[in-house]
Amino acid sequence: MTTTVTLAASMRGGTKDYGSGDAAVRALDGIDVDIAAAEFTAIMGPSGSGKSTLLHTLAGLDRLTAGESWIGDQQISSLSEDKITQVRRDKIGFVFQAFNLIPSLTARENITLPLDISGRDIDPAWFDEIIGILGLADRLTHLPAELSGGQQQRVAVARALVARPELIFADEPSGNLDSRSGAELLGFMRRAVKEFGQTIAMVTHDPSAASYADRVLFLADGRIVDEMREPTADRVLDRMKQMGH
Amino acid sequence: MFRLAVKSVKHNPKRLVLTAIAVALGVALAAATFTLTNALSGGFHQLFEEIYAGTDVIVEEAPSDTDEDGDQFAAGDSVFTTDDLAAVQAVDGVGLAVGGIQVMGAVLPADFEPSGDLMAAGGAPSQLFNWAGEPRIDQSTLVEGHGPETDEQIVLDVDSAPRLGYAIGDPVAIATDSGVTELELVGLVRFGESNSLQGATLGYMTEATAWELAQSDGYQSISVIVSDGADKDAVATAISDVIPDGTRAITGEDKAAEQAQELDDLLQYIDIFAIAFALIALFVGSYIIVNTFRIIVTQRTREFGLLRAIGVSGRQLRTMILLEALVIAVVASTVGIALGYLGALGLSAVVEAVSGNIFGTVTLPLDALLWGYALGALVTLIAALMPAIHASTISPMEALRESATESKKPLRLRNIVGGALALLGVLAIVVGLYMDVPRPYVYVGAGAMVLIIGVTLLAAQVLVPLAYGLKTLLTRLFRVDGKLAANNIRREPRRSANTAAALMIGVMLLALVSTFTESLKSVVTDQFASSDADFFVLSTQGAIPAGAIDTLESQDGVAFVTSTGIDSAQYDGVGYAVASIDPETADAAFDYNNEPDFDQLDGGVFIDPVIQELGVEVGDQVTLEGAEGSATLEVTGLYLNEGDANFWVDEATGAELFGEYDIIQAMVVLDEGVDAEAAQEQLTEALAADYPLVVLQAPDELAQFANQFIDLLLGVISAMLGAALIIAVLGVANTLLLSVTERTREIGLLRAVGVRRRSVRRMIRIESLVMAIFGTFLGMILGVGLGVALVKALEEFGFSSVAIPWTWLGIYMVLAIVAGVVAAMSPARRAAKLDILQAIAFDG
Repeated sequence: MTTTVTLAASMRGGTKDYGSGDAAVRALDGIDVDIAAAEFTAIMGPSGSGKSTLLHTLAGLDRLTAGESWIGDQQISSLSEDKITQVRRDKIGFVFQAFNLIPSLTARENITLPLDISGRDIDPAWFDEIIGILGLADRLTHLPAELSGGQQQRVAVARALVARPELIFADEPSGNLDSRSGAELLGFMRRAVKEFGQTIAMVTHDPSAASYADRVLFLADGRIVDEMREPTADRVLDRMKQMGH
Repeated sequence: MFRLAVKSVKHNPKRLVLTAIAVALGVALAAATFTLTNALSGGFHQLFEEIYAGTDVIVEEAPSDTDEDGDQFAAGDSVFTTDDLAAVQAVDGVGLAVGGIQVMGAVLPADFEPSGDLMAAGGAPSQLFNWAGEPRIDQSTLVEGHGPETDEQIVLDVDSAPRLGYAIGDPVAIATDSGVTELELVGLVRFGESNSLQGATLGYMTEATAWELAQSDGYQSISVIVSDGADKDAVATAISDVIPDGTRAITGEDKAAEQAQELDDLLQYIDIFAIAFALIALFVGSYIIVNTFRIIVTQRTREFGLLRAIGVSGRQLRTMILLEALVIAVVASTVGIALGYLGALGLSAVVEAVSGNIFGTVTLPLDALLWGYALGALVTLIAALMPAIHASTISPMEALRESATESKKPLRLRNIVGGALALLGVLAIVVGLYMDVPRPYVYVGAGAMVLIIGVTLLAAQVLVPLAYGLKTLLTRLFRVDGKLAANNIRREPRRSANTAAALMIGVMLLALVSTFTESLKSVVTDQFASSDADFFVLSTQGAIPAGAIDTLESQDGVAFVTSTGIDSAQYDGVGYAVASIDPETADAAFDYNNEPDFDQLDGGVFIDPVIQELGVEVGDQVTLEGAEGSATLEVTGLYLNEGDANFWVDEATGAELFGEYDIIQAMVVLDEGVDAEAAQEQLTEALAADYPLVVLQAPDELAQFANQFIDLLLGVISAMLGAALIIAVLGVANTLLLSVTERTREIGLLRAVGVRRRSVRRMIRIESLVMAIFGTFLGMILGVGLGVALVKALEEFGFSSVAIPWTWLGIYMVLAIVAGVVAAMSPARRAAKLDILQAIAFDG
C-alpha cells in the first residue's frame, strides 16, 4: 500500500541490544519500518516496547546493533559520527518531551539555531508563517525560562519546522503538557503535515495524541505488531488494551 | 557559535565570576609590575638624560668586561692626570674641558651619633664632586648662596640640606676613608630641572678639597663642551687619539642611552621575576578554571546533548566552550590589567610619599597589555581544553536522559598518568639538583610543575580512602552532617582533588621557601656562632678604611684584627674574585671552610671549587694578573665553599697584585679576660672621631641582623605568593558554590526530611575544611621535601644543615583552617537559604 509513496525514512532488520551477558536487553528485534513522506506517523507501544529506541536509531541519535536504516535514500547506519551529525543537521528536526531549548537563547534565537549552525539563510516569509500559525509572535524575545510549558514546546516545533527538514522526529512532545496545550500543539503538528507536506514521526503512549496521526504503528517487545490508518483515540485505546497495556 | 558562546556566558555570569577573578588577579600582578618597571625605567631615562644633557662629550675609563662588581655609586679610579686634561682641552673643537673628581664619602646628618647601628648611616648614598661653576658640567644650578669658593666650603642639593638638618652657614660633616672633615655650607643647588636624585645626597666642593678627600691628584672623568658649531662625534673621535689606553670618549647622548639600556636590562629581571609569580598565580587559577568548566559541562550535559541532536558537531561544541573560555579570559584580563594599573598607581604614590619621586609618569605600557591578555587567554584556554574535549564527546542521547550526572569513570587511568608524572617530576628534580647538567633550574622548575600535576591526579585516589576513613571520625564528631560531608567529598574525587591541589601549590611554595630560609638562617647562625672573633668590623658605606683597622689595633685589650680584602684579577683571560687575608690570624678569628688551614698558605694560593672545576689542582702553578702587577703562585690548598672568592692569597701577594685593595670584612679578637661589652663601647668611641661610618658588631648581633634580612626575603616572597593563595581559597569557594547549585535538589530533599539549616551550613563547612586541610597538608609535604632537596643540593655553598620550619608550618595550618571556614561562608549560606519546594522542583 505504500509502494507508490516516497519514503522519508526506513529500517530493515533493525536490532538494538543494550548491555551484555545476563544483563543484555534486546530493545529492537529485527524490525522493518517505513516512514512515508508527507505523513504524520505515530509510534505507539507500552513502556519497554522499544518505541523510543526505534525513534533514536531512525534519527541517527543512537546506533543499531545490526540492520540498516535510511533517511530518504541516504543509508545512515554505516556512516561516521560526523556524517550522521551532518545528516541530522540538514535533514532532520527534533521535538523532545522536555528540555528542548537552550536556556541562554531567546525564543527567536532558539528557533533559528539549526539555520545558524549550518550557516543557512532564514526565509523570512516562512519564518513569519510558522510564527503566525504557532502564535509566538509576541514571545520571540523571551528566554525559555519566561515561557510556559506549552509555549516552550511550540518554540521547539517552530525550530523543527523552520529549516524545512525532510523529517521531524517528536518524542512525547505533549507528554509534559496539560491536555488543552497538548491538543493545541498536536493540532499545529497535524497542520504542518497537511498544509506544508511536512513528514513527522512521533513516539507517544497517549492514544489521544496518536489520534492526530495519519497512521499508527504498534510496537511490542521490539517488533511491529500492528498498524492502523486514520486512527481515532477510541480505536487506538482498544488496540492497546488488546496488547495488554 | 561565537554568539552562542557569548550568550551563554552572559546568561549565567555568576558561576563564572570567581573564575574570572582568579584570572584577573594573576593578570593584575603581571600588569602592575610591568607598569611599575616601565615607570621606573622612564624615571631613570629622564634622570640619565638630565645628567648628560649639558655635557657634549664625556671622557672616562672604558668599561671592562672583568669589572663584575660594578657598584654604580662607587667612585672609579683616577685615570686622568692634569696633563691629560690639558691635552683634551687642546683638541680642536673643544670649548671647555673640566676634570671630574668623585669623592667616596658620606654627608653625615647634623645630629649624627655613632651608635654602632648598621642602619643609621645607611640608605641612599652621597654623591660628592668637585664644583666646576659651569651648570652644563655640574648638571646643577645654584638656587641659594654661592658656590664653594674656598677649600673649606661645600654646597648641597636643596632637598638634602634640610633633610639632614643643615642650613647655610652650618658646618657639614663629611665622613671619608681618611676621617671626618667639616666644611661650611655656603649654597644650595638644584640638580637638573627638578632635583630628582632618587633620594641621594648631592654635594660639591673645590677641586683641591675633592682631591684631598679622595686622596688623589687626578680625575676620574673629563666632561667636555664643544665649541659652537663643532660636531660632537668628530670631537669625541679626535679626543680618543689623545687620551690614555683603557679610556674612551663618548658623546653625552650615547652615554645616557648606554646607561638607560643597562638599567633596562636590570629591570627586565624584575619583569621576569614578576611574570614567574604571575604564572604561579595563574597556574593555581587554572585549577579553578578546570573545575568550573568541568562542573559547567556536567550541568549543561542536556543542553549539549540537545545541540548535538539538532546537528552541532562535537568539534563545534568544543569550539563553543573554548570561545566561552576566551570571552571570560578577555573580560578577566581587561579587569586584571585595569586592577594592575590602579595598583601600580597606588603603589607609586605610596613610594613617592615615602622616598621621593623615583618614578617617571606612570602610564600603562604596551607590554602590560600584551602580557596581560596573552597570559590570561593562554591559561584560560589551556585549562578549558580538557573539559571542552569532554563536552565534545557527549552523545546526543544525553539530552534525553532524565537528570544530569557526571559519569563515574574509574580513576585507574588518572592514577597511572598521575603516578608516571609524579615519578617523572621527581626524576627531573633529582637530575637538576644532583647531576651536573646545564641549566639545572630548568630541570628543577619543570620537574616541580610535572610533580605537582602528578600529585594532583593522584590526590583523587588518596581522597577516596581518606574520606572513607574520615567518615567515621566526622560522623562521630558531627553526626549526620559529618557523614554527608565525607560522602560528598568521596562522590567527586576529581573535583575535590583539583580544588585541594590549587591550595596545595601555594602552600607548597610557602613551605619550600620557608624551609630554605630557615635552613639559611641556621647556617648563618652557626657560622657566626663558630667564629672566635669578638667583633665583626663593618662599614655602612663602601669599604672599611685601612685607618680604621689601624685605630682598632692600637687599642688596649685588642689582641689582633684580621681583615679580608677583595679585588678582581685575571686568570687565564677571565676575571675572578681574589681575597687577600692574613694567613697567621685568619683561622684564629673565623672557622673558614678550607683545607688545610690558612697558615699553610705559605705565600701560595688557595682555590675554590669553581677553579678546581677548571682542572687546577694542589701543587699546580697559577698566574694571576691584577691591576698593579701579576704573580705566579703555587696552589697550596683548597677553599671549600663556592661563592665567596675564587682565589685566596696573603696580604703581601694582594698588595703585589692590586696595590691597594678594598677591605670588605675585618674581625677583632680581644685579649683574654677583656669584657666584650665594655670593649665594644671603648672601640666604638675610638672610631667615632674619624670613622663614624665604621661599626662593630658582635657575632650574635650580626647573625640576628642577617636573619632579619632573610625574614624580609621570606616576607616578600610570601606576599608575592599571596595572589596565588587568594586564588586558591576562591577556588574552594567556587567549587563549593557550583556543587551546591548542582545538589540543589538533594539539599532540598534533606531539608524536606527535616535537616536543619544549621546542619546544611555545617555540612558545607566541613567539606570546605577537609579540602583546605588536605591541600595544605599535601603542600607542606611537597614543599618541605623540595626545600630539603634544594638545601642538600646547595651543600657546596655552605648549606650544612636542614631546618624544618615547624613554626611556619603550624601557622600555615591555622591559616588553612581559617581559609576553609572563609571559603565555605558564601556556599554554606546559599545552601542553607534554599527554599525547600523550589529546590525540589529545580531542574538544572
